[in-house]
Amino acid sequence: MSGRAHQDASRGGLVGVLLALIVAAPVLAGIGYAAAASAGILGASADGASTARITRVLRDPATWSGFVWSITVAAMATGIATFAAVTAAVVFRGSRLTDRIGLALAALPLPLPQLVAAALGVWVLGQSGLLARLAFAGGWISAPSDMPALVYDRWGVGLVLTMAWKETAFLTVVASALLATRTKAAEDAARTLGANGWATFRRVTWPVLWRGLMPAVVSVFIFVAGSYEAAVLLAPSAPLALPLAIADRAADPNLARRGDAYVLTLLLLGMALVAVAAHEWARARWEPLAE
Amino acid sequence: MAAKRASVIATLVLLAACVSQRDAPAGQATVDSLAGLPWDSVLARARGTDVVWRMWRGDPSINAYVDGWVVPRLRDRYGISLRAVEGQGPELVNQLVVEREAGRRTGSASLLWINGETFGNLRREGLLAGPWSARLPNAAYVDSASPIIMRDFEQDPAGYESPWGRVQSALIYDTIRTPAPPRSFAELAQWIRAHPGRFTYDQGFTATTFLKGLMYAQGGGAARFAGGFDSTRYLAARERVFAWLDSLRPALWRAGATYPPDVASMHRLFANGEIDFSMSNNQNDVVTKTRQGVLPASARAFVLRDGTIANSHYVGIPWNAPNAAGAMVVADFLLSPDAQLEKMRPDVWADGTVLDTRRLPAAWSAQFQAIETDPRQVPRDTLAKYAQPEVSPRYHERLAADWRTHVRSAVPQRSGSGR
Repeated sequence: MSGRAHQDASRGGLVGVLLALIVAAPVLAGIGYAAAASAGILGASADGASTARITRVLRDPATWSGFVWSITVAAMATGIATFAAVTAAVVFRGSRLTDRIGLALAALPLPLPQLVAAALGVWVLGQSGLLARLAFAGGWISAPSDMPALVYDRWGVGLVLTMAWKETAFLTVVASALLATRTKAAEDAARTLGANGWATFRRVTWPVLWRGLMPAVVSVFIFVAGSYEAAVLLAPSAPLALPLAIADRAADPNLARRGDAYVLTLLLLGMALVAVAAHEWARARWEPLAE
Repeated sequence: MAAKRASVIATLVLLAACVSQRDAPAGQATVDSLAGLPWDSVLARARGTDVVWRMWRGDPSINAYVDGWVVPRLRDRYGISLRAVEGQGPELVNQLVVEREAGRRTGSASLLWINGETFGNLRREGLLAGPWSARLPNAAYVDSASPIIMRDFEQDPAGYESPWGRVQSALIYDTIRTPAPPRSFAELAQWIRAHPGRFTYDQGFTATTFLKGLMYAQGGGAARFAGGFDSTRYLAARERVFAWLDSLRPALWRAGATYPPDVASMHRLFANGEIDFSMSNNQNDVVTKTRQGVLPASARAFVLRDGTIANSHYVGIPWNAPNAAGAMVVADFLLSPDAQLEKMRPDVWADGTVLDTRRLPAAWSAQFQAIETDPRQVPRDTLAKYAQPEVSPRYHERLAADWRTHVRSAVPQRSGSGR
């Protein structure tokens, strides 16, 4: 590389770092503010630098039950959405009209605002909802209220199903794009070498698909775990989902307790960072094997 | 030489005044500067200005009253352009704290809709401008004999907020489903046991008010909690309240394993027939909600004979209000007889007036007396008979926090049943 080319590359890298910093600055400022508010330095309940608030919140069993509940629900919703998206993308990967219709239907919830999706979840899954009324009309239950509780329920069934349905659309679009652009040549080669359909899927399609899909899956997991709009309409009051606990604390009638919200926010952020780091670790470990 | 020295001193004083004026928060500086001036000066200063009003925007009836009735009249009469934007209690405090930390001496809103613990928090943090409310010409008509209006959760408004309306908490039932609703907390307990899975309360402000009413009933009446927060008295009452709730928990909706997030969810569950009672902090909410179709036409409100909490709501001016003069004119207009009368109409908002109608000119007084009542409304004399005042906001804070810890988080072993 000539000196001038090297200089250009360095300048380009510097511009890239500056642009990244501009994008990251609000996030970093937010993290800094949350950290200062957690430590009692800033915010409505600032009462002097101390770790007392952080300790109190992290020692509260309700914090951890809400944390575990949130990541469990997010993991289940993400798992179901991933399975459904991969299935839809593989089944409807052809160019027939039925394939195009199938993919369009799977991607249909994509433009829906999350709040609307959650409201649909209540409308369909609530004890006075569509399913309950259909079950009652069909004679399977003696009253709509006999329908098992799927909304505000302990296990978050309504929230899991609603978020899985909503996020299937996004993952289907990503999976379809991966199948269309990254597997075709390798699949053709495998078939030419005598691999049957299942072997081709298992040895070629699936490895490429899951490696390409994982960043989107991690994003969906983090997004669902931090989702307020869906949780407020569908989640139970105990354990209290982490996003609801954050809103709860941020609006506490007692001003002195509002700083708790920042501790919980940092906890949620920590969970997201761990998810991203785990993905990066797995990628670094597995990708060389794929080369 | 002396003249020159005097001139230098005068210049320095003027500069200091300018610096201090620049550093003073906008809202408080305006309130102070208008203190000695006649009301006409306030009107002149407000003419042609914009006022941003942060308020709860969750009720279409209130929004329609503000946007469709108040806004055009302020524009026509005072040349003020009023813009109501979302922002309620806790958000207002958080927003103003952040603005203070950011050094924003001129903030984003000039008027706030507040009461209770929000007023207490804002006053404690020094985030309200004042005093100013006694200056409003229409303040002369305020019912100054009413402790419910003149004390905001036992706090003296001290001129830092102006009353706007008054409400009383009530339970809502369906006359078809529950033709004979319970009339006391004791009867309510019996009813809940006899109808498992058909009663609950929400996690928000409305339910805390309901629980405070229960606290009064279990603790010997509102008077025993008057005079500021008493920890010993509170703890004793809290035990009784939680014991009452615990004894009924298995018979609550979803066996008390979960609670609706807010009163809007309560209304939805009630309208869908999943529960038999909803509740509201406004006794006339049932009128507007049945008209909107949110609640069934057969829904009615009622108050328990043990008493229900009545309180007032107010408007305040933040310390850094960009247009405190405009905000004062808006607050005065909101207090005017025509604005109060319109707000009181059952087909508008059905919010109670804060005016003493006997002080009004005869023509206005007659209109208030003749205002059409809706058959769905709780009669005024019934409301007055069972009205109980708010007590220190500390009771509200503690009860809300302790309920979350001792009741909400304590999930019963058997949960998630359909009933």
